[in-house]
Amino acid sequence: MTAYDVVVVGGGPGGYVAALRAAKNGKKTALVEADYLGGTCLNRGCIPSKTLLKHAEIIEGIEKAKNWGIKTENLSFSLKEMFARKDQVIAALRSGIEHLLNAGKIDVYNGFGTIHDDKRVTVVIGNESYQISGEKIIIATGSQPAVPPINGLNSVNYHTTDTIFDITEIPQSIVIVGGGVIGVEFANIFTSLKTEVTIVELGDRIIPTEDEDASQVLLKNLKKKGVKVLTNYQVSSIEESNSKKTLMITSDKGKAECLTVDEILLAVGRKPNVSAISELDLKMTGRHVAVNDYLETSKKDYFAVGDVIGGLQLAHVASAEGLTAVENLDGNKEKMNYKVMPRCIYTNPQVASVGMSEAELKEKGIKYRVNKYNFSGNGKALAAGETEGFSKVMIDEKYGEILGVVMVGAHVTEMISQSSAYLYLEGTVDEFAKMVQPHPSLSEVLMESANTLIGKGIHS
Amino acid sequence: MATEVVMPKLGATMEEGTIISWLVQVGEVVEEGDAIAEVQTDKIVLEIEAETTGVLLKTLYDEGSIVKVQEVVAYLGDEGERVEGLENQSSGAESEPIVEQNKTFAKVADVLEAPAERGNKIRRTPAARKLAEENQIDLRKITGTRPLGCIQKIDVVNFLAENAKKITPLAKKIADDHGIDYKNIAGSGLNGKIVKADLDSSNSINEKVEIQKSTPSEKRIPFKGIRKVIADRMSQSAFTAPHVTLTSQVDMTNSVRLREELLPVIEKVNGYRLSYNEVILKATAHALQNHPDINVSLEKDEIVYRSNVNVGMAVAVPNGLVVPVIKNADKLGLAAITEECKSMGKLARDGKLLPEQMQNGTFTISNLGMYAVDGFTPIINQPESAILGVGRIQEKPVAVNGELAIRSMMTLSLSFDHRIIDGAPAAAFLTELKETLENPFRLII
Repeated sequence: MTAYDVVVVGGGPGGYVAALRAAKNGKKTALVEADYLGGTCLNRGCIPSKTLLKHAEIIEGIEKAKNWGIKTENLSFSLKEMFARKDQVIAALRSGIEHLLNAGKIDVYNGFGTIHDDKRVTVVIGNESYQISGEKIIIATGSQPAVPPINGLNSVNYHTTDTIFDITEIPQSIVIVGGGVIGVEFANIFTSLKTEVTIVELGDRIIPTEDEDASQVLLKNLKKKGVKVLTNYQVSSIEESNSKKTLMITSDKGKAECLTVDEILLAVGRKPNVSAISELDLKMTGRHVAVNDYLETSKKDYFAVGDVIGGLQLAHVASAEGLTAVENLDGNKEKMNYKVMPRCIYTNPQVASVGMSEAELKEKGIKYRVNKYNFSGNGKALAAGETEGFSKVMIDEKYGEILGVVMVGAHVTEMISQSSAYLYLEGTVDEFAKMVQPHPSLSEVLMESANTLIGKGIHS
Repeated sequence: MATEVVMPKLGATMEEGTIISWLVQVGEVVEEGDAIAEVQTDKIVLEIEAETTGVLLKTLYDEGSIVKVQEVVAYLGDEGERVEGLENQSSGAESEPIVEQNKTFAKVADVLEAPAERGNKIRRTPAARKLAEENQIDLRKITGTRPLGCIQKIDVVNFLAENAKKITPLAKKIADDHGIDYKNIAGSGLNGKIVKADLDSSNSINEKVEIQKSTPSEKRIPFKGIRKVIADRMSQSAFTAPHVTLTSQVDMTNSVRLREELLPVIEKVNGYRLSYNEVILKATAHALQNHPDINVSLEKDEIVYRSNVNVGMAVAVPNGLVVPVIKNADKLGLAAITEECKSMGKLARDGKLLPEQMQNGTFTISNLGMYAVDGFTPIINQPESAILGVGRIQEKPVAVNGELAIRSMMTLSLSFDHRIIDGAPAAAFLTELKETLENPFRLII
C-alpha cells in the first residue's frame, strides 16, 4: 500500500488543480480518476461546448456578412469534421494536464476509487485493485446529468450532455428539456446547424437564475434564430416509434401539447457523484456533501470541493475550492471566498455576470442604484455589427461599492473580468468611472454606466 | 558659524514688523523652509522662514516687539554653538532697534540650559512635528537621523512610507465615513491590505461610532497669529466705533438681467465670468463717488475725505479672512472690475496677496450672498467708516404697481461709524445704491 500525504479523488477542474497545488506545496500527492482527466468540464462540458459554439458563431457570422457585401456560395458543414476538431481540442488539453501532473510528480491512478473511512482508497484498474492511503483526502468526484422521472423515458433513446457530443448526424429536430445555461447553449449550437430546436422550460423564463433583462434579450435572440421556446411547460410523457420521439407536454394552466422530434436532450441540472463516498458517513446538505468555510467535511482530514458540494456548479468555482482546500490541509488558514465568482453563458450574444443580481439585492434589502447601457450606443459594437445586449452596473448607494455587473453581448465573457477585478480589489464606482478604457472598445459601456451613476455620464 | 535671521521686507511699503509669536523655541532644530516666527505688518500676518537648517541659537526679541526690516531677530547655527559677540550685544545698545518690551537677553541662558532640560523630550524639527501630528504618529516610534537623534521631516516621511497601511478604496471610504482609525487594524488581504470585511469584523463599525460620540476629543489651538490679529481688529472696531446698521431691500431683477447680458460679453473680452459681486461693487463705487461724506476715515483729530474710491472685498481664507482692495473702483468698467476681483480673490485664497494689495481701502463689501443669509450687521474695517453687507438674492413675491409680481430681492446692510457719519447721509447713500442696483443703467452716466 502506497502512503501519500494527500489523495485527491476526481480528476476534474476541482481535483486536478488541487493535486497540482498540493504537490507545489510539497505534499506527496496521488490523483484518482475513473475516466479521462479534466472531468466533465474538459470532456463533456465547457470545452467541447465552447468549441461547437465557436462553429455556431462563425456560421452566424457568415450569414450576417451576406448583408455586408461579403457573399459565400453554398455554405455547407460537416458534423464529422466539426466534432473531430472538438476532439483535437480536448486531446490537446488532456495531454496538457497529464504533462502537468507528471511534472508535478503526482501519481495518477486511472481507475474508480472507493474512499474508506480509515483514509484508505481502493482503486480498481481493469482487473486489478490497488490500495493507497492519504494523510488527507480531497473528495472531488463531481456530478453527472440529472435525469428527471418522466413517464416512458426508460424505453426511449435520449441524450444528456454525457452523450450528445457523440452524435454522428445532425438531427432534423431536437427538443431540449430545460432552458438553463446548458439548454440555451445547445439550442444555439443546434439552431446554427439548421436543426429545428424547441426548448421546454418548467419555469416562466429561460436562464432563470440570471438577470431578467438578460433573459429577455437572449429569448428574443433565440426566437429570431428560429428556436421555439415554451416556458411554463412540463414534460409529462415520452414515447418513441420509428426513431421519432413524441413528447407530451403540459402547461401550468393545464394546456397539453404534443411534440414529435428526432432527438431529445435532457438539460435539467446535475446530481453529485457520491458512489465513491458511500462508505463514509458524511454529513450532507440535501444531496450534496456538507463542508465548512474551510471546505472540510464532517469527517476530520476529509475535504470536499467542486460539484459534489453543490453551490455554484462551475469549473472555476471548483478550482478555487480545490486551491483553498489545499491551503487548509494543515489547519484552518483560508476561508473560501465566493464573493467574486463570474458566471458566463457562451451563447451568441453571450451573458456574463459577477457579484449580486438585482433580484438578490432586492431580496436582501440592500439599497442600490443601477445603470443600464445598451451596446447599440457603442461605436465598437456598431462597427462589428454586434449591437445586441447591454451592460448593467449595480452599486451600493452609500459608498459606491460595485455590487454586481451583468452584461449581455459579444465578448462579454471576457469583459466581465474587469468588473470582477473591481469587486475583488474593492474598487468603487469612482475609480471605475475614472479609469480610461480604450477607444473604440465594447468596454466603454462600463465607463459610461459608472460615470452616469456618479452623475457624470458623457454619452448618456 | 551662526546664520542671522532678519526681519524680512515683505512689501514695498513695509518698514517694520511686529513679531507676534515665535513658532520655534530656542534650542529647537529647524529645517530649511520651516516657519520660525509669525510677523505682522500693518495689514497681514506672514511667517519668517528658516533659510537654512540648524538649531535656533537665540532670539533677540520677545513676542510683541516691533522690529525694523533687515534687522537681525534671531540666530541659527549648529548644536552648542555660541553666537559671536553676544555678550557685547547684550551690554552695548548701539545697534539696538526700536524695541518695546525687550527682555530678550535674559534668554541667553536658554541655550546653555536647554540640553539638560531636554533629557526626556523628543528632539524634532517643527516640520517633523507638524507632519507627525497630521498623520497622528507618535514621534517616539521614529528614529531621528540628525545629530543627537533629532527627528526631521524626512524621517517622518520615511516612517510613513514604511508603515503605510494598505487599504482598498472601498474600505477607505467606509473607514473615513465612520471615523475609524484603521492604522491598527490587521488587514486580511495580500500583504496585510485592509478590506471591507476587516472593518466589519475587527472593529464593529457601530461600536466605533458610539465611542466617537461618547468621547469627543477637544481640540485646542493657541489663540495667536492671524486669528489674534483679526480678533484685535474686530474688537477695536466694534468697541471704539459706535456702529449703526441700516438695511434696505433691493429689487435686483434688472441687475440680474444686466449680469446675464454682460456675462458672455465680458467673458469674451477677458475670459472672466461676471458675478453679482462685481455688479454690486461697481454700483457701490458709483454711489461712493456721489457721496464723499461716506468715503471718509477718522485719523487722530481729523476726518479725512478720501480722494480715491478704493473698495475692499472680504475674502474668506482658511482660518480667517483677508480684504484685497480694488483701487479706483469708480473709474473702472465692469470688465476690469471682474478681472481684478477674480484675480485678487484667487491670490487671496492661495495666500499670495501682497501687503500693497490690501492697503488704502476706503470702504469694504462683505458678501455672504452665497449662503442662506439675508441681512447681517457687518463690523467696520477700520480706519474706514462704513461697510456694506450683502445678502442672498432670492425670488420673492412683491407688489409692483399694485400687482403681485415675482422679483429677485436682496437685502443690503450698511454699517457706519456714527462718530463721523450721521444717519441721514448714510441713508441717502444706501438709497442711491439701492436705486442704482434697481436701475443699473445709471452706471453708464
